[in-house]
Amino acid sequence: MAVKMIKQGRKKTAEQERIHLTINGKAYELLVGSEPDHVEASHTLAHTLRETLGLIGTKVSCDNGACGCCTVLMDNKAVLSCMTLTIECDKREITTIEGLGDKPTGKLDPIQQAFIDHTAFQCGFCTPGIIMSAKALLNENPSPTEEEVKEGLSGNFCRCISHYQVVKAVMATSRGVR
Amino acid sequence: MADTYRYIGKATPRKDAAEIVTGKTRYLNDIKFPNLLYGKVLRSPYPHAIIKRIDKTKAQGLAGVKAVLTWEDVPDWKGGTPRYTRILDAKVRYVGDAVALVAATSEDIAREAIGLIDVEYEILPAVFDMEEALKPGAPQLYDEFPGNVVTPGAPIFGPHSLKQVVMGDVEKGFEEADVITEGTFGYENIPNPLPVEAPGAVALWEEPNKVTLWVTNQSSYLDKITLFHIFGRRVEVRTHGGPCGGSFGSKMMSWQVQTYATLLSRATGQPVKIVFTKEEHLAAFVLRPGSRMHAKVGMKKDGTVTAVSGTWLIDTGYYSMTTQSQVAVGCGEVQIMVRCPNWNLKPTIVCTNRNASGIVRGFGGQELKCAFIPLLSLAMEKAGLDPVEFFKKNYVKPGDGYFWRDGNWYTYRAIDYTKAIEKGAEQFGWKEKWKGWLVPTAVNGKKRGGVGVGVHGNADVGEDASEAYVRVHPDGTAVIISSVTEHGTGQRSNYIKMVAEVLQLPLERVSMTPSDSLFTPYEFGPAGSRGTYAIGGAMIAAADDAKKKLFELVAPMLGAAPQALETVDGIISVKGDPGKKIPWKAMGVDRTLTGYGHFEPDYTMANFMMTFVEVEVDMETGKVTLLRVLNTTDVGQIIDPPGLEGQLNGCLGSGGIDSALFEETILDRSTGHILNANMIDYKWRSFSELPVIDNVILETPFPSHRFHAIGAGEVATAPGPTAVLMAVSNAIGQWLHHYPVTPEKVLTALGKVLPKKRKGGAA
Amino acid sequence: MRAFTHINARTLNEACTALWKYKGKARLNAGGTDLLSILKGDILFDYPEAVINLKTVPDLDYIREEGDVLKIGALARLSNVAKSPILRKSYRVLAEAANSVGSPQIRNVATMGGNLCQNVRCWYYRYPRHLGGPLGCARKGNGPCLAVTGDNRYHAIMGGKKCFAVCPSDTAVALAALNAQVKITGRAGERGIAVTEFFNPMGNSLGRGEMVNEIEVPRMAGRAQQTFLKFTLRRPIDFAIVSVASVMAVEKGLCTDVRIALGGVAAGPVRAKSAESLIIGSAIDEAVATTAAEKALAGAKPLGNNAYKVEIAKTLVKRALLQSYF
Repeated sequence: MAVKMIKQGRKKTAEQERIHLTINGKAYELLVGSEPDHVEASHTLAHTLRETLGLIGTKVSCDNGACGCCTVLMDNKAVLSCMTLTIECDKREITTIEGLGDKPTGKLDPIQQAFIDHTAFQCGFCTPGIIMSAKALLNENPSPTEEEVKEGLSGNFCRCISHYQVVKAVMATSRGVR
Repeated sequence: MADTYRYIGKATPRKDAAEIVTGKTRYLNDIKFPNLLYGKVLRSPYPHAIIKRIDKTKAQGLAGVKAVLTWEDVPDWKGGTPRYTRILDAKVRYVGDAVALVAATSEDIAREAIGLIDVEYEILPAVFDMEEALKPGAPQLYDEFPGNVVTPGAPIFGPHSLKQVVMGDVEKGFEEADVITEGTFGYENIPNPLPVEAPGAVALWEEPNKVTLWVTNQSSYLDKITLFHIFGRRVEVRTHGGPCGGSFGSKMMSWQVQTYATLLSRATGQPVKIVFTKEEHLAAFVLRPGSRMHAKVGMKKDGTVTAVSGTWLIDTGYYSMTTQSQVAVGCGEVQIMVRCPNWNLKPTIVCTNRNASGIVRGFGGQELKCAFIPLLSLAMEKAGLDPVEFFKKNYVKPGDGYFWRDGNWYTYRAIDYTKAIEKGAEQFGWKEKWKGWLVPTAVNGKKRGGVGVGVHGNADVGEDASEAYVRVHPDGTAVIISSVTEHGTGQRSNYIKMVAEVLQLPLERVSMTPSDSLFTPYEFGPAGSRGTYAIGGAMIAAADDAKKKLFELVAPMLGAAPQALETVDGIISVKGDPGKKIPWKAMGVDRTLTGYGHFEPDYTMANFMMTFVEVEVDMETGKVTLLRVLNTTDVGQIIDPPGLEGQLNGCLGSGGIDSALFEETILDRSTGHILNANMIDYKWRSFSELPVIDNVILETPFPSHRFHAIGAGEVATAPGPTAVLMAVSNAIGQWLHHYPVTPEKVLTALGKVLPKKRKGGAA
Repeated sequence: MRAFTHINARTLNEACTALWKYKGKARLNAGGTDLLSILKGDILFDYPEAVINLKTVPDLDYIREEGDVLKIGALARLSNVAKSPILRKSYRVLAEAANSVGSPQIRNVATMGGNLCQNVRCWYYRYPRHLGGPLGCARKGNGPCLAVTGDNRYHAIMGGKKCFAVCPSDTAVALAALNAQVKITGRAGERGIAVTEFFNPMGNSLGRGEMVNEIEVPRMAGRAQQTFLKFTLRRPIDFAIVSVASVMAVEKGLCTDVRIALGGVAAGPVRAKSAESLIIGSAIDEAVATTAAEKALAGAKPLGNNAYKVEIAKTLVKRALLQSYF
């Protein structure tokens, strides 16, 4: 394979040199660039969370903003991490599924416990994204109606059809919180 | 029934529940591998072409690229039924067909390298319609399939594999009929089961001829067997299975993504991961077969079917992965649904220049019934028969017989489903809502209501073989050694439940090994509805065997016969003499005992699912809204209530009911492009539009295993689409012949839009 | 995604200067929900060289009334537009249109400017590179329109010329019914253009170095009933197959002012002016609404697969009018 090595054109791709993120309460400083563990301009937040930081709880399915599996909270709002450029998240506060619950005691977030109690999942791949959307919903509206729960989760795809149990679990959580 | 059991029939938290809700589950793409390379596929822009020349020098020269493979670099490994489809060929047969493989140190570099491969094609004419493909002079996809007819009944289930339903004397049958009807119906929208997790694999090749794969599907042991044959029986294959983000049949026995990873690992000496994008998942991975049936039906006024004669065309796309097996099972299922002595139903499997169809939940039965039940309905309409009464009369009863997939005749020995039908109809309010054929249930200004019903059942509840080991330990725990992985049905937890029930151990004290074909025994996989009876049977037998060995060992210590012993929570005692007991530790702390269980196939039982639907049609816009769904079945004994409910609710997923409403893979039949290979243009049901759903589940004990249960998960999707077609046809007062019933189709049927001959559009 | 240069714009001027500098090879990034799909699909023959982040420009996300005029900054989030009390009170049709876009997660980041300037959804235009694409076409300037001879079930039924893709923006339809103006800023200064003039079959009227910075909506005098109807195969996520926005003022049972805008039918939102004139001065009943609907779609020229859209559009116009009449 004696060929001229074509180097991938990696000229300076961003003015920013570092990004500061708070993820699940922990501060991160990430360098911008094309070296391993750096953030490239084209990296999505989903990629950074999963590949660079090893936080694999956020799952990727369509990778195009249409299924909600990659949902995380950014400044308390549900956003699609696969459609967010990490380089544009400087100073943002992000919560992933790993950030729910109480780390020291191991106690689960009430939403997570309700999902267990109601078997609100089947294969589980879409579950972290749904839980994060539910979290965002309940943060903003602690006593939603069933319709409001359905609308709040309407951007989340589940193919096994755990929807009915999910709605029960979220309603149960909101009743518990009241 | 459930009261007699400690766990069976009771809702128990799934073993993997905490892992799932905290995001800790490691699906394939979550596992880290050192030194990993990423694989990508270069895909054809043409539906049918010969590759004249490939220049990969620029791609190979890109920094970070470790291998570029074309058809000239790979062994002559083939898949399909029959095995004629090369892993990489000098010919491409659909837009998206694999042309070359690249492995690189990052996905971005692999993608860039793909773009640097230079290919010269000689474009050939292509064919996208079954009847066109069968015509003389049509473009031929394979030299081996003259006329594009894929070899029927390749002996996938033995030398007499069912390839048609032919019996009795149809001429005589038609003479006996009170009504005779004829028609054509098509289920050709080739929906995608579309599990959330994309297909993928990681492979690590070891010289000279060994490969270890990490796979994601519902049967990783079967991957080992499938790939062993694909690799010419010359490579030692080991598979690691793990949690799977949904499959619905589609990932079972899939072979290409695993083979790509294997070839790239062989070429580079490093582990290689390939995970399809969602676009590839939609345009280059398993679709439902397309189905078109033309048949004549003879029926008596009392609902007896006297004759069925017709042709069933099945479009398998550019090759048949296992389509003959779906035809075989479909042909078997149709006899289970309809008691008719005279058949002349001839299937023909056709290949066309599009992405291939393969295994999907419903497995041939759904594709057949979506065309066949409407054909039966034409006769029911003429005879003035209520379809629920028709199905009640015709569904297989104990003592009836049918040819099953292997071509053998079996006598049915499971239960009569009449009660389930009656209970379901009653709860749905069928008698009040059914107003006759092509008559709406209600008229409300510009909206019309309609009801419909569909039915399905499969004698696969005891299909294929399974093995399991259960090892018991002195500390009062047990482990199941099996390659069953979790793909959404909860079965991994259910087997733990079954073993815990047999051994009377607390659930936390029973676990299951990881899935590793190196030491886990043969397992066909929780496919179809076999998980509860077939795999359960092996699990129960293994637990029983372990218990037997344990009792034989400790019986002398208790001065009793082994048969006189019982065990609860790790303490063995003599029945009726609770004073005499010893803990499992008595077996000795330096040993374990392993029981073995095997399940032999049993095709004498079938499950049952009937789906009632109520729809509302907006007569001005053509929009169909699914208001209500009711599934009714009888499972003998529920193993896990929420698990079963989840399976039945699943009728709204995996290309089920919604394939009648809005799910379709949109193929441009002039250029061959799949136009909606993304999650916005491929439509799926969301939280916003959930119909009311009720599941009526009876429990009449089956002669299966000790829990008298059979499975009913897979069959949930098949009855729905026909029920919707029936309901909408009834609402608007005329028969619709194609799926899905989009607003356009409804408006065209109502004469509000002139039917236009589609050139580039779908059927 | 392939690599690109990333720029954080601190001011509108910086953004416009960067756009100018890159001669059409740079893209603005607001919410990112459309741009990233274009980049990931690698559908263009000319991959953008630079992405200019607008989120670093402060004070672009306002929603405020100045007298009788509603001013919305281009970076206003659709979720905020949807629940804004100002909009819910007097510009309801826009709030409802914004609320019908995408999904909750998308609405949390998607912006008014992005919604107006997003790429078309034509599935030939968007055919992904890695499935054997990209496809050349009229819009890309290197081939004929593939939809004309192909599957055009979602394409334009009026005004198509060279490119037959429809405008995917729901807010544009509501804005058209509200007589809104799109405010544009660039090297040549500021200008405004009616939202109905902003779109054309090949794109929009932004010139080199220009961007949308504001949307201006005059408040309708008196009480006005506002209706937004969006027809899709399923909810949410879907773009409109057809949509209708209507705003109507009624006095003493007679319609004194009405705007009817159609979406999903052409390269931009279409005001059904002749239908509007027909209704002024009338009471609205089924017959009047039906006639107006016929008039609204009189100019329709469907392609091979989308004649059904004409029927649906007529029904939506009729229903919107009946719903708006009070």
